[in-house]
Amino acid sequence: MTTLTPRERIRRFFRREPIDVMPVFSGMGMVTIQAIEKMGIHFAKVHSSAEYLARSAITSAELFGLDAVIVPYDMCTVPEALGRGVSLYEDADGILYPTVPSKWGTLDQVDLPADTGYLSKGRMPVVDEAIRIAKAYENGRYAVGGWVLGPFTMAGQLIELDVLLKGLKKDKDRVEDFLSKMTDLVIQIAKHYQALGVDYMNIREMGSGTDLLSPRMWKTLIQPNLKKVFAELSSPKILHICGSTDLIIEMMNECGSDAISVDQKNNVAESRKKLGRDAIILGNFDPYGTLVKLEASQVDGVIKKCIDNGVDAVWPGCDLWPDLKADNMRAYVEAVRKYGKAPTPAVGRMN
Amino acid sequence: MGNEGMREKLLKELSEGVVEYDEERVKKASNEVLDKGLNVYDAVMNGLAAGMEKVGALYDQQEYFVPELLMCADALYAGLDILKPHIRLEDLGDKPKGQVVIGTVQGDVHDIGKNIIKMMFEVAGFTVHDLGRDVPLEKFVEEQLRTDAEIVALSAMMTTTMMGMKKVVEMIKEKNPNVAIMLGGAPVTRDTAGLFGADGYAESAGNAVQEAIKMISRLREMQQK
Repeated sequence: MTTLTPRERIRRFFRREPIDVMPVFSGMGMVTIQAIEKMGIHFAKVHSSAEYLARSAITSAELFGLDAVIVPYDMCTVPEALGRGVSLYEDADGILYPTVPSKWGTLDQVDLPADTGYLSKGRMPVVDEAIRIAKAYENGRYAVGGWVLGPFTMAGQLIELDVLLKGLKKDKDRVEDFLSKMTDLVIQIAKHYQALGVDYMNIREMGSGTDLLSPRMWKTLIQPNLKKVFAELSSPKILHICGSTDLIIEMMNECGSDAISVDQKNNVAESRKKLGRDAIILGNFDPYGTLVKLEASQVDGVIKKCIDNGVDAVWPGCDLWPDLKADNMRAYVEAVRKYGKAPTPAVGRMN
Repeated sequence: MGNEGMREKLLKELSEGVVEYDEERVKKASNEVLDKGLNVYDAVMNGLAAGMEKVGALYDQQEYFVPELLMCADALYAGLDILKPHIRLEDLGDKPKGQVVIGTVQGDVHDIGKNIIKMMFEVAGFTVHDLGRDVPLEKFVEEQLRTDAEIVALSAMMTTTMMGMKKVVEMIKEKNPNVAIMLGGAPVTRDTAGLFGADGYAESAGNAVQEAIKMISRLREMQQK
């Protein structure tokens, strides 16, 4: 039986060409505490060093047999480059992800740059270099995944969320204008990472599920911007939304991505029926619940259920929580390989 | 119009003003409550809070989403700002009241859910010590000791910060085992709350905001006992 390299496996997967077995990967962070500990570093230090970022992602992939490395891990690199600062929590115990300390408080305060100079500010060059290191590792053995927040989620990282949400109703024209600028920003950054050679690009419009917005609002304010983003990007490109997505899954599929990623709140069996066998669906297990809380013996069933429900590749619903149980992580990878030998609705198998 | 008729009319105005996120309408009705010398606590609980309870139902029915909820909360606050300074202690009687320390744990800058829970406590007559968001864990313990609050309410909207809540629970229980601790926030489930040894649980596995609004019903039930 032919065995593909991790990168070949993922490249073929998105081209819908037959593969040997289901790849184990994600479009969100997959760094593990086991890799961080092996490197002898503190988690808070990993975000500011290209070497640490790349090595921690690669070490995680090597320790557990993943097919891809994904960087960066935090959602603050762009806001930081745009002058909104970053809290790295270097003195805090345990794992805390960076946050944005000084979002714009009103739409009047928004001050976006006219050029792309921000791409070389803050930690943006760190991420670029981490992508280069990851790509070069063992002659490109691993696929390198890139991601950018979607326009609405990016807006929520730059401006106070309540201002944004209320503005959707109270100040619609100005919010639409702001979202349009966010769309241009997302396109610039995603294209930048694609030019650096990432093997796939995940647009994470995380904050736009129907936990927050009505399907009608999603159609008028979110979908048009996502369509613009995907029209500008080359393949492979993925749309990820977490939270409630059952009511918008068909609209998600109309945005022009090559694949759709959803979390554990989505009824994938129903989504598969709605989207048909050609759509690549990724998802949909709860990473914290499955890899941190469950017993290792229970993980197999969770992964099998995702595949039985009709995903083409098992993706976690969000970033892996790094402080996961190693046995659970191994059980997850093992289960994907075991149940992923058979073809899935959109992607066949070589033998 | 008799006093009871006036009361009914103004309660309706307050309630509908909140539901229709009409801040001006709520302000006008609130001022009228004061002008007519009606029971202010009654206006808060059976006008403003009753309106917010309807908002919660509209959210459950997926008529309203978070943007609407936030605007309704603004309307409620507009009324509360006018009415709350005029609530008399005797109006509260033996209704639940006390002090709450509330905040969003370090590493989390999302505070929409926390702000709504805070509003619920304020509506019910609690004194709220709001530590804000991205709060260092020790600060919760310090503030509880400083204020001798009966309740500490912690919120974390993201999985990546909820672990911090476990540490706070441990630290507070160590210093003062009698404090009631409530956990809320999107990723916190009942299992997790149990795991952390917390006493209460602002039921919010699905959505922090939705569940925070459900607290209104519980508070109103308590108030009517």
